[in-house]
Amino acid sequence: MSQQIPTEQETLEAIREELAAIKVPDAASAEPSSTWSDLDVDSLDLVEIVKALEDRYDVQIADGRLKAIATVGDAQELVQELVREKAGAPA
Amino acid sequence: MSARENGDHPVALVTGGTRGIGAAIAQRLRDDGFTVATLARSGGDVQADVADPEQVEAAFQAVRERFGPVLVLVNNAGVRADGLAIRMAADDWTTVVDTNLTGAFHCTRRALDDMLSARWGRVVNVSSVVAERANPGQANYVAAKAGLLGFTRTVAREMARKGVTCNAVTPGVIDTDMTTDVADGLIGAVPAGRVGRPEEVAAAVAFLCSDEAAYVNGATLAVDGALGA
Repeated sequence: MSQQIPTEQETLEAIREELAAIKVPDAASAEPSSTWSDLDVDSLDLVEIVKALEDRYDVQIADGRLKAIATVGDAQELVQELVREKAGAPA
Repeated sequence: MSARENGDHPVALVTGGTRGIGAAIAQRLRDDGFTVATLARSGGDVQADVADPEQVEAAFQAVRERFGPVLVLVNNAGVRADGLAIRMAADDWTTVVDTNLTGAFHCTRRALDDMLSARWGRVVNVSSVVAERANPGQANYVAAKAGLLGFTRTVAREMARKGVTCNAVTPGVIDTDMTTDVADGLIGAVPAGRVGRPEEVAAAVAFLCSDEAAYVNGATLAVDGALGA
């Protein structure tokens, strides 16, 4: 059975959970417009979050795409795009 | 809680762990309660040329499947191809730098994933007394071993917040197959008046891998009978 495409709200909750897992103080109030610097998330934290999202959704986020992820919303969009590609569904 | 305090036997991977200093390190870490896997080009628990990132990736996958996540990495694999810089073949430069320096990067990169997830990790790079000095006839080896020290300090700073340490040891003249041709001439230069034993290097590495060394990070520990002092 193909994987269900997560909704925007689901990916937002997933990212909030992963932020909380690495002890980001404002994890619960993270919004799509929040930048990593707003959240005090450094480059190594971002690597951890990306790794957790890869495991959660069984997708691979290429290292080259990390730089383009500047906000929570960027991460949501990328995850949804990759899950859609994996499921073979039209974008 | 650290991996050690947890009562586990964390997996320690020792590259070049079948001979010389590497074999002594593997034995010592085994004695200290780690689950030790050795990586070598032939023999060892897993086979790989550390200079080849694909072989390193496959070897790490094999170690994870057989033993578990790698929480201790000792980058010990090293080769020599001596000659004066003025006549050094490009291949001799590349082989030594690719194995001794870039190989440590390939292995560390793989191991850091596991260490980051565990919030505990130890990387120890086996450099050399020559890294902070000079050794005519070994421009490639000295450059690689000096590079390892910069790599060590940088990884230490990058990972410090996550419970991962990265340190180096700089052995002097140690009694192994690799030094049989140089040891005799150098003994006179060693203030201790003797060559070192592989077990003496292993003891320093074991300390850096211990929980007690949690606040030792980015350091270079000389094990050289004061040769580099």
